[in-house]
Amino acid sequence: MKEVKALYLKELSELDGVSGDEERVRKFIEEKIKDKVDSLKVDVLGNLIAFKKGTRSNRKFVLAAHMDEVGFMVTNIEDDGTLSFGPVGGVDPRVVVGKHVRINGELPGVIGYKAIHLQKKDELLASPKFENLRVHIGARSKEEASRKVELGDYISFATDFRQENSRATGKAFDDRAGCAVLMEVIEQEQRYEDDLYFAFLVQEEPGLRGSAVLFEQVCPDLALVIEGTTAGDDPGLPEHQWATHLGDGPAITFMHRGYVVNKKIYESILQVAQKYDIKHQPKRRTAGGTDAARLAKTGGGVPAGVISVPARYIHSPLSMIDLGDFENTVKLVSKILEEGEGFAR
Amino acid sequence: MIDLIKELTESYGPSGREEEVQKVVLKYLEGHIDGYKFDPVGNLLVWKRGRDDKEVLLDAHIDEIGLVVTNIDDKGFLRVEPVGGVSPYTYVGHRVRFPKAIGVVYYEGETPEEQKKNLSNLTFDNLFVDIGAGDRSEAESLVSIGTFGVYDSYFYKNGNFLTSKSMDDRIGCVVLVEVFRNLKDPRHTVIGSFSVQEEIGLVGAFVSAYSFSPQICVAVDVTDSADHPKGLKRHAMALGKGPAIKIKDKMSISHRKVVELLEQAAQKANVPYQKEVLTFGGTNAAALQRTKEGIPSATLSIPTRYVHSPSETVSLNDVEGAVKLLVSFVDLELEL
Repeated sequence: MKEVKALYLKELSELDGVSGDEERVRKFIEEKIKDKVDSLKVDVLGNLIAFKKGTRSNRKFVLAAHMDEVGFMVTNIEDDGTLSFGPVGGVDPRVVVGKHVRINGELPGVIGYKAIHLQKKDELLASPKFENLRVHIGARSKEEASRKVELGDYISFATDFRQENSRATGKAFDDRAGCAVLMEVIEQEQRYEDDLYFAFLVQEEPGLRGSAVLFEQVCPDLALVIEGTTAGDDPGLPEHQWATHLGDGPAITFMHRGYVVNKKIYESILQVAQKYDIKHQPKRRTAGGTDAARLAKTGGGVPAGVISVPARYIHSPLSMIDLGDFENTVKLVSKILEEGEGFAR
Repeated sequence: MIDLIKELTESYGPSGREEEVQKVVLKYLEGHIDGYKFDPVGNLLVWKRGRDDKEVLLDAHIDEIGLVVTNIDDKGFLRVEPVGGVSPYTYVGHRVRFPKAIGVVYYEGETPEEQKKNLSNLTFDNLFVDIGAGDRSEAESLVSIGTFGVYDSYFYKNGNFLTSKSMDDRIGCVVLVEVFRNLKDPRHTVIGSFSVQEEIGLVGAFVSAYSFSPQICVAVDVTDSADHPKGLKRHAMALGKGPAIKIKDKMSISHRKVVELLEQAAQKANVPYQKEVLTFGGTNAAALQRTKEGIPSATLSIPTRYVHSPSETVSLNDVEGAVKLLVSFVDLELEL
């Protein structure tokens, strides 16, 4: 097995791919994995599905991560050359003020706000509203702005990836971290007992949409969803309200919004982690949903599990992960695959 | 039937952990079905073959609301989050039953003022569970993070009224079991789906009909009854007036033709019934009607007081009526 270490995380994080605009991410992944899988296809909705034949092929095992990230869309070009916009996926308007953004993956812009000198006391404490925020691209008129931007254009955060010791910061770890985990598993060029389908999915953030069409194409027997999930180890929260803790290993979900994780899969994940002494933690909050809920509810039903890289400050311009957690997630997923048909049997 | 109701309602089966209840169902169905299977998400599907090639699917969800352990502290106290629509108020001073422990649920407060504030604006973040453990390791020998619990409640009969936890929807499971026990030589193939994970999003019912080809689906579930002091205005449902044929709730509108057939079946079997329009809520019919190319679906409800509390209350007459109505229904010519 080749030695790999957060190989594609930086590039994946810095690519722009707000829900519905995943092409840059898809092309990057496609390019890197195409020679390491048996076949590859892009479906009608834009999901990238890579296939790797198993040595026994008795089960179809889906490993899924979503390519899209939260961001914004231009809703109007104003007379003064600024852009009105709205969120795509769940974004807290308080975290967008004063940030660099990119439009369509290239054009730089900033999200401005009234300077503190001009705000009344009650304004200072209130949360900004998207209808009062604008993206500035340096245009002085609607006409000038219209030469560069169209209504419906995508806006994403423009955050550089950085690494300080064992911690990495960047945007879109939800769920490029998951994509990076899958790519590293592919990179190992191992063949396992089950037929593997690596599904890089679109439009998870606005409503688990890409995963809704997997069943008809693959008819999977089981699935693992790999996510970047919320870390709650925040000084403002009592410890019993923490969802996950950075550095404690991959988070394993027993239940989230709309789905209780298949018991056999949940317990099998824990068993594999214990067997190989891989640091791990249960995800201790049930909020938030993943494509596992959609997979369970489509076609004849796909039992799915969820393993996540804990990330602080997700759905914001900057999130933080622990690279040890990332590596342990790759290790856990690899060991699960090595178990072959013994996993979740 | 009382034994069955007691055993099913007192069984442990929160969403995602329904195996124990499904076993009870299978025990009571022994000798009354032609086959059964568990599908990939855990739905228990049973069937009795009919004389013609048509299929009717009757659904009842087998899961109940509950709590799940999200944290265990140094002193052995637990923190929990709801599984399905659970009000934190129903648990204050009440007990929760885990597979290997029973806990008392209570709320925090370091001053009388804080207690009052927490109680008037109660959330699960203010609740803790005491399972009698002296410290974390003792607690961890009884429960883990991710262990599911249900109301620790028991069944009792008050005249014609029956009270227990999880009438929602074990009473629907009872109706299905009794229908199968009363089928002798059915006209159509009857499929029973004892579906999982309804309370958190109709999970099981989205896929339970996938491997069959039913012409019609009927979900049997509870509905809110407002016949108590200051019950919800605008609602007509009452205990003892017979099973309720649902016209509409928040998540689905019953197929008009199926509603007519249910009414016909009631008249034929001489069963009093009521009609239901619920201004909120939803049942598995919402998922069943969207399966494959679409399946005409409706809901038959058992009016229930105090839904989602440890003391859900139904009338035995309505339950018996529902059984008779459905036995008559599955024998109708199912022309839509």
